[in-house]
Amino acid sequence: MARVITITSGKGGVGKTTTTANLGTALAMRGARVAVMDADIGLRNLDVVMGLENRIVYDLVDVVEGRARLRQALIKDKRLPELCLLPAAQTRDKDAVSPDQMVYLTNQLRTEFDFVLIDSPAGIEGGFRNAIVGADEVIIVTTPEVSAVRDADRIVGLVEAAEKGTPSLIVNRIKPRLVNRGEMLSVEDVIELLAINLLGIVPDDEAIVTSTNRGEAAVYDQHSLAGRAFLNIARRLNGEEVPFLPLQDQPGVLERFFGIFGRRRT
Amino acid sequence: MSDLISIKGGRDGLRMRFDDTADWPALLVQLEQQLTQNQAFFNGARLTLELGERSLDEIQLSELLNLLQHHGVVADALSANARAARNAARAVGITARPLPRYADPPPGTPSLAPESEALLLTRTVRSGQVLRHSGHITLIGDLNPGGELIAGGSVIVWGRLRGFVHAGALGNAEAVICALELSPTQLRIADQIATTPPRGSGPHVPEVARIEQHQIVVESWENYKR
Repeated sequence: MARVITITSGKGGVGKTTTTANLGTALAMRGARVAVMDADIGLRNLDVVMGLENRIVYDLVDVVEGRARLRQALIKDKRLPELCLLPAAQTRDKDAVSPDQMVYLTNQLRTEFDFVLIDSPAGIEGGFRNAIVGADEVIIVTTPEVSAVRDADRIVGLVEAAEKGTPSLIVNRIKPRLVNRGEMLSVEDVIELLAINLLGIVPDDEAIVTSTNRGEAAVYDQHSLAGRAFLNIARRLNGEEVPFLPLQDQPGVLERFFGIFGRRRT
Repeated sequence: MSDLISIKGGRDGLRMRFDDTADWPALLVQLEQQLTQNQAFFNGARLTLELGERSLDEIQLSELLNLLQHHGVVADALSANARAARNAARAVGITARPLPRYADPPPGTPSLAPESEALLLTRTVRSGQVLRHSGHITLIGDLNPGGELIAGGSVIVWGRLRGFVHAGALGNAEAVICALELSPTQLRIADQIATTPPRGSGPHVPEVARIEQHQIVVESWENYKR
């Protein structure tokens, strides 16, 4: 039986879809049968990020409304035969699916996969509730920004109220240099406020932009720090103990230059 | 709160108890007064109505609900011993049940002030969560930004207080707010409002906020206890 894990955040644009695509890919690379489901009906993205946009024939709403069987709507990944995508509908909205239908759908997926990852829409309304209703576990993605963390905190409360247990946390797009200068919230600050289990830290990485635009997960890229972080998170999801990556990025040339003089003042 | 209407709070939320025998129109007048006076406490509240032996018809009940709604109060449930009142509640879509049997104190025992009921909670109060209680609130855990504690009495936070607290929200200016780390977005005691100036992230000491000469003042616990 599969583990159904919903990836959500409250705030938009913090990296839910990127996280879903990369974790799904990483888990499949390690041999698991994985389905990723895009629950953001009306604003689908996951297919684009995974580079499968042009293969969509049927979508989630087609399955729910009986126009297609689940098998027909599932799209096989380009590289990994064990990885499948269930795309969202683009021409409908969140009300097209009911919570009961989502539970039915996730239970159908459960029988055929080891992991079902659900990419949640932003917000706290029906779409978010649909995305968590069938889940066994919830992962919250946040960036180290006050507004994102505030929304994450609200989501933790809602997930607990929905009796999905305490969610775990991925802090995305951390910039070690800014943290060291005290200009960005540190992972410790975020954890202190949210008081939930830390699943992973993903450094800010320009390679993510190119990888999502190309429709290839960053976990394929040996040199991508973010890709390595996502691989580690996938291993932790499998129950392995993996230490967190050391967070040091290369100082810029200017900073190295100023660093020599800057030190005197401190 | 008043002799005809009383507010009780418990783990399951607030209960509003109406006197059994008083004249109904007079009760509504007093309720209106109470809701207006204690707007800070009631706005946004959800509560259970307790009617005791009194019977109400649908029209009277709707009138009551409209008055509550006008002041931002939602009645979730109604408990009454009169079947007619329960039927009226069901007709307007409210859960109705018979009055739970609370052991009434024997006559002659001094009635306890509402503040004597304290609520103890061990959890994190997160953004978007509101805890409202007619007595004191003690929270063992953090109050995060965006979270709210609203109490008729005092508020003690054994943790970091970073959200919104209103103590003495039913008018008690003697109420205090204590926290291990007092960094609120806003504090209110009775009808006074205070915001805290941004502070450095230095070490925090336990602090107490109270009203002194119509102003909220904050001092360290060490100073306060002297």
